[in-house]
Amino acid sequence: MIETRVCKAFGLQYPIFQGGMAWVSDAALASAVSKAGGLGIISAMNADADYLRGQIRACKAEVGELPFGVNIMLMSPHADEVAQVVIDEGVPVVTTGAGLPSRYLPAWNAAGIKAVPVVPSVAIARKVEQQGAAAVIAEGGESGGHVGDLTTIVLVPQVADAVDIPVLAAGGIADGRGVAAAFMLGAEGVQCGTRFLTAVECTVHPNYKKKILAAGDISTITTGKRLGHPVRVLKNQFARSFAALEYDSSVSNEEIERFGAGALRKAAVEGDEKNGSFMAGQIAAMIHDEKTCREIITDLFAQADEVLAGAAKWVR
Amino acid sequence: MTTFEKIANILKDYINCDLDDIKPETTFESLKIDSLDMVEIIMNLEEEFSVTVEDVSEIKTVGQLVEIIEENRK
Ligand SMILES: Cc1cc2nc3c(=O)[nH]c(=O)nc-3n(C[C@H](O)[C@H](O)[C@H](O)COP(=O)(O)O)c2cc1C
Repeated sequence: MIETRVCKAFGLQYPIFQGGMAWVSDAALASAVSKAGGLGIISAMNADADYLRGQIRACKAEVGELPFGVNIMLMSPHADEVAQVVIDEGVPVVTTGAGLPSRYLPAWNAAGIKAVPVVPSVAIARKVEQQGAAAVIAEGGESGGHVGDLTTIVLVPQVADAVDIPVLAAGGIADGRGVAAAFMLGAEGVQCGTRFLTAVECTVHPNYKKKILAAGDISTITTGKRLGHPVRVLKNQFARSFAALEYDSSVSNEEIERFGAGALRKAAVEGDEKNGSFMAGQIAAMIHDEKTCREIITDLFAQADEVLAGAAKWVR
Repeated sequence: MTTFEKIANILKDYINCDLDDIKPETTFESLKIDSLDMVEIIMNLEEEFSVTVEDVSEIKTVGQLVEIIEENRK
C-alpha cells in the first residue's frame, strides 16, 4: 500500500487522479474511477453550465459521498460560468488546464474547493501555491492533449523542490513502473489520462480505443506548435495533414485553426479514423488491454508496490 | 534608479535585448516573451521588490507591469 499526502488531502484510497479529458471523461468514467478508490474527474471542456451541472449530478448520484473532481479548461468560452457551477454544486476538487487560474482561486478557496492546477513550469507552480492551490499536477510533454515542452522526468523533481504542497506527476504513466518512478522523482501522486481511454467504463468511440491499443512507440506527434498550443495526437491522416499545413507558410493560422476545429469530437464521438484528432500520450504504446477502472488502478499500485519494494536491489 | 529602469534592466538581461528596445509602451508580445517567461519574470520581480502580483494574465505592456509593481509596494 502506498499512502501519501495526496490520499489524505483528497480522501482517496489510491493517490491517483484520472485526468480531465475533453469529449472523453464524462460522469460515467469519473464515477467509475472514484468508486475504484482514485479521483475521477469530469471534463468541463468547452461546454456550458447546463452540460456540466448535468454531469456533476449524474456523477454524484453514482459516487455518493466519495470525492470526485471537475477539470476546467481556462481557454473555454464558458470558463466564467463553469467556474461558478463548481461552487454552486459543491464540487470537492477542481483541476485546471491551459493557463493560470488566478482569477478563480480566491472564490474557490473561499468555497472550500481544493484547486489543483496543471502546471508546465516551476514558476507557475510557485505562483499557484502562493495563491492557495491545494496541490499541483506537473504534466510533462509525453502527455496526450495540450502539452508543454518539458518532459515529466525533468519537470517533476524541479516542481517538487520548488513547492511545499503535494505534487502529482502526469504524462507517460500507465504502469506500475511509471508510478514508482514518479514517486522517486518526488511526486506524491499521479494523474493518468491515456491509460483510462481504454477503460471499460470509458464511453469514447470504440475506434478510439482500438487505435490506442494498436499504438506503438512512434505513433504520436505534436501538432499546433505554430498556433501556440501544441497538442499530442495519434498519427493519422488528419494529424499528418495538420502537420503539413503548419509547415506551409502560404497557409494562414486562421485556416489551420479552421482545419482543426471540431476534430477531437469527430474522433471521440464519431470514431472518424481519417478526420478525427485522436489525442493520446506517448504511453499509448504500452496499453494493451481494455479493463475496468478498478483493475487499472489496483494493477498500477500492485506493480508499483512491487517495484518500490525491490528498488533496493542495486544498492550496496 | 526608477522602478521602470530597474525592471527594464531585468528584462534586458532576461531576453538579451538592448535597453533602448524597452519603453513603457512596449508589449511583452513584441519582445517575444511568452506566458511561461512572463510568470517566471513576475516571480523574480516579486522577490526583488517584495510584492505579490495577483493576476499575471492582465499584464500586456512594460508600463502596466511597472504600475502594478509600484502599486503593490505601497
Ligand atoms: C483525449 C485527451 C483529452 C484531454 N483533455 C484535457 C482537458 O480538457 N483538460 C486538461 O487539463 N487536460 C486534458 N488532457 C490531459 C490529461 O488530463 C492528462 O493530464 C494527460 O493525459 C496525462 O498524460 P498521459 O496521457 O500520458 O497519461 C487530455 C488528454 C487526453 C488524452
